[in-house]
Amino acid sequence: MKKLSFVCLSALIAGFCFAEETKPAPNPVVVPFEMLKSGHMAVQVKVNGIGPYLLIFDTGAPTSLVNNKLAEEVGLFKGKFKSPFAMFGSQGQVKIKKLAVGDQEAEDLEAMIMDHPTVDTLSRGVGKALYGIVGFPFFARFKLTLDYKAKTMTLIPSGYKPPDVTKAIVAGLLSSGSKTLAPSAQWGMVASKEVGDDEDGVDVKEIIPAGAADKAGLKRGDRLLTLDGRWTDSMHDLYEAAGFVKPETSVVVKIKRSGKEVELKVTPTKGF
Amino acid sequence: MSYRPVLLTILVVPLLFAADAPNPRIYEVPYKTTLPKHIVVRVKINKKGPFNFILDTGAPAMIIATKVGEKAGLSNGDDGWAVMDRLEIEGGPTLVKTKARVETPFQLEGMNGLGLAGMEIHGLMGYHILARYRMEIDFTRDKMTWTELDFNIPQPGRIRGGAGSAGGLEVMGTLMKNLGGFLGRKPNPEITLRGFVGLTLENGDEYPTVVGVLESGPAGKAGVRKGDFILKINDRSVTSVGDILRFAARKPGGETMIIRVKRKDGEQDITFKTGEGI
Repeated sequence: MKKLSFVCLSALIAGFCFAEETKPAPNPVVVPFEMLKSGHMAVQVKVNGIGPYLLIFDTGAPTSLVNNKLAEEVGLFKGKFKSPFAMFGSQGQVKIKKLAVGDQEAEDLEAMIMDHPTVDTLSRGVGKALYGIVGFPFFARFKLTLDYKAKTMTLIPSGYKPPDVTKAIVAGLLSSGSKTLAPSAQWGMVASKEVGDDEDGVDVKEIIPAGAADKAGLKRGDRLLTLDGRWTDSMHDLYEAAGFVKPETSVVVKIKRSGKEVELKVTPTKGF
Repeated sequence: MSYRPVLLTILVVPLLFAADAPNPRIYEVPYKTTLPKHIVVRVKINKKGPFNFILDTGAPAMIIATKVGEKAGLSNGDDGWAVMDRLEIEGGPTLVKTKARVETPFQLEGMNGLGLAGMEIHGLMGYHILARYRMEIDFTRDKMTWTELDFNIPQPGRIRGGAGSAGGLEVMGTLMKNLGGFLGRKPNPEITLRGFVGLTLENGDEYPTVVGVLESGPAGKAGVRKGDFILKINDRSVTSVGDILRFAARKPGGETMIIRVKRKDGEQDITFKTGEGI
């Protein structure tokens, strides 16, 4: 009976929370996917209301791809010059007004028109027509839960606005190729890693009195293994991990002290 | 009689709870993104690493660049697969005796050759690893949530010789790598570490205010005091803590920093060298 009353209670709380919200939380949309025998996942996609077409769902794809056949059928070429000499039928970038994966729709998405040879090869291999790849510009907008066992993905709008990846790449190519790693908050400690030291972690070389690390009980000589769940195997690692932690948030650091692993909570301050 | 369906629902709920796997392990897996926004997780293979892998549902298995495979002591066996004794994913998920393919995919050659990712990418993590977890990916957070699934997927089968050709695209990888050589780009950017100052700050009514000084830190030793207002850093006017931190984030250790502070007795410039530390 205990379990039962707990369930009822949480149901009551949920109702209360919803009543407090000014905007109703967006509903999760569950989309089934098909596992292809090649180990890829495929989803039913409608473009501008036309379809469904079977596309690969690919978290490793920075952009979405649609092939020329799909582009032709849903009218993506309207007002667009179509080059007959393009490599792999590549017709460049387009903006898709509406793209729905299962019942989840998104608007104004970047995509490339291209007959990607890998998609074609795959298509022949699995004996199904595949029309392209759904990538980052679509899935990044959602809190995405992938479940291979249930063969479903669950999508809830997250509010994240994906940047234009093509622009990001160009900016990256034009950048100097150097960067400075900076913590986002002040920890009050100095670490070091000797040349030739291949063991996990970095050495805590100095704890600055009255700083955040000092208050949390870190000591000189501790071996710092992780910071907020991130490995700190090098000085770069340490600074990068510290870059993810906002000031005044309490996070766990894992250290090794006299042969034992210990977890401490540190709250870095707003400073530098 | 309308209470009947209600009762039924309540009875079903505990059953659903019972049907769940007993305490599946849940991991918070940190990730970072490449410049073109691939999701990158870090792994250690046979205790070597960390290595950067793209979380790629478009890859049928785990694919490890040849160089990394050598470091981890892996080579493809007769069936075309190497066996990782231990695969440790940052955040905790760990797999033993798991198959992976040692091979440098053309996509990686291109990306690393041009320095496109902003970091060296060592491989792709695909279906045979990912399918063991329910993965929650949310770009408004800096970690993913992975829940271990009670789902034993078959290990990948034999790779036949010559299969898996990318139909001409591998040429592009080599092409891009060579192009990268002309441009003089490296897969990893040159990295410097930001210098340490030792001040805690809050936004004041008019100027950012020093609310804490680490006495043995560079600014403390140089004479910056609690209660000082900060007007300028290296001749650049600052109006908020965010301003200061963004500016200072680009200043490596060992550089000269001049802070103009305002106190009761007027303004003064305080000069020191930034130190090391976080």
